[in-house]
Amino acid sequence: MSMDPPIIQIKNLSFWYGDFKALDNINEEVRKGNCIVICGPSGSGKSSLLRCINGLEKFQQGDVIVDGIGVRNCTDFPKLRSNIGMVFQHFELFPHMNALENITLGPRKVKGKSKKEAEEKGLELLSRVGLSDHSHKHPGNLSGGQQQRVAIARALALEPKVMLFDEPTSALDPEMIGEVLDVMLDLAKEGMTMLVVTHEMGFAREVADEILFIDEGRIIERGTDESFFKHPKNPRTKEFLDKILM
Amino acid sequence: MDWTVIPKNLGFLFEGLIVSFQLAGLTLALALPLGSIIALGRLSSRKWIYYLTSAFVHGLRANPLLLIVFWFYFLVPIIIGRPIGDFTSVLIAFVVFYSAYFAEIVRSGIQSVGRGQIWAGYSIGLTYFQTMRYIILPPALRRMVPLLVTQTIILFQGTTVAFIIGLKEFLHRTSLVSERTLKSFELYIFAAVVYLVICYSGSFLSRRLEVKQ
Repeated sequence: MSMDPPIIQIKNLSFWYGDFKALDNINEEVRKGNCIVICGPSGSGKSSLLRCINGLEKFQQGDVIVDGIGVRNCTDFPKLRSNIGMVFQHFELFPHMNALENITLGPRKVKGKSKKEAEEKGLELLSRVGLSDHSHKHPGNLSGGQQQRVAIARALALEPKVMLFDEPTSALDPEMIGEVLDVMLDLAKEGMTMLVVTHEMGFAREVADEILFIDEGRIIERGTDESFFKHPKNPRTKEFLDKILM
Repeated sequence: MDWTVIPKNLGFLFEGLIVSFQLAGLTLALALPLGSIIALGRLSSRKWIYYLTSAFVHGLRANPLLLIVFWFYFLVPIIIGRPIGDFTSVLIAFVVFYSAYFAEIVRSGIQSVGRGQIWAGYSIGLTYFQTMRYIILPPALRRMVPLLVTQTIILFQGTTVAFIIGLKEFLHRTSLVSERTLKSFELYIFAAVVYLVICYSGSFLSRRLEVKQ
């Protein structure tokens, strides 16, 4: 078994929203190429955890090390974040830009790529997510599933080492969930390091190297797929799985 | 009734209108950028910047424009030890006063864009200023346009306040002609029509822009 240093190390991470403790002493290591699925009830701290990893939330205790860079005392967030792609529940595409402009903004402004170079790469990414014909459409003229695929392409455009997905399918109509999950499955199989907050347990079964169950800001259960689904140790996990798997 | 008083004095009155436009235009050109910077301060997570800019906004909005004009007209020359001129003093007072109003319009425009968009900008590696410039301000400004036009109309009407310190803007010149010719009825009707045409065109424009969105 290879023991490269983990690409993400979360050490004793605690985070307060005012007086509310959203994350309570989280510890986790993610190795290159692994896919970690995070699930748990709403408000349990899953999304906050992702946002601590790329420094969108300023946590007060512990640290997160991403590819050798400590997040807590980070002085160069653009550099840190250009290594970490993020996909949001509500897509958050820029409404005044078309699909291609959404994708090329980061490479041009952050990595200083030329417009031509960025567009070539952008078109390649659009074809990878199956949207070659939609490069000049604005987000308002795309379906939810298409918008989320553009958002994934936008995140990939910076050639990140890690991808964070924050409930990427929970704002989608059921018939569009599959097209987004397919893109994510391909990514996972190509060896992208991914942290995915989702309740899509089919996705977890297929590609997750580890599944974390978070409740009240703590990781209360972790396991590889079969152990996690068949023999949850914690009654809260069992209750939760019963509800979402039915 | 003798309406010939208007064509006879049109040149003199028109010069006043130019002064009114200059005052309003320069105020807009300076107060909008200043207000935008103050708006960013009001949204800052650094407490001292937030408190400083909030005190500025609330302090000015809680005072009448006339008082601010007096303040700059009477007090600033005492403080700096020399007169600064009617137009300059009114212009500074206007810029300071209206920047507080523009700041609140810009702040609400920025806040209407939503935190998710800021996160999205940051997550692709943009800096704070790049996120503002490319992500937040373009849609925010578009949403602000009707309010900015309305505020500019109020600003234009407000230029009459400069009368009080003797600046020869449009209303002041109308009043001077009226004193000289005693044709106050005709002159003030004319002034009302001029303000009505200018301000109504402005609000018509603002409504058109609102409908477009």
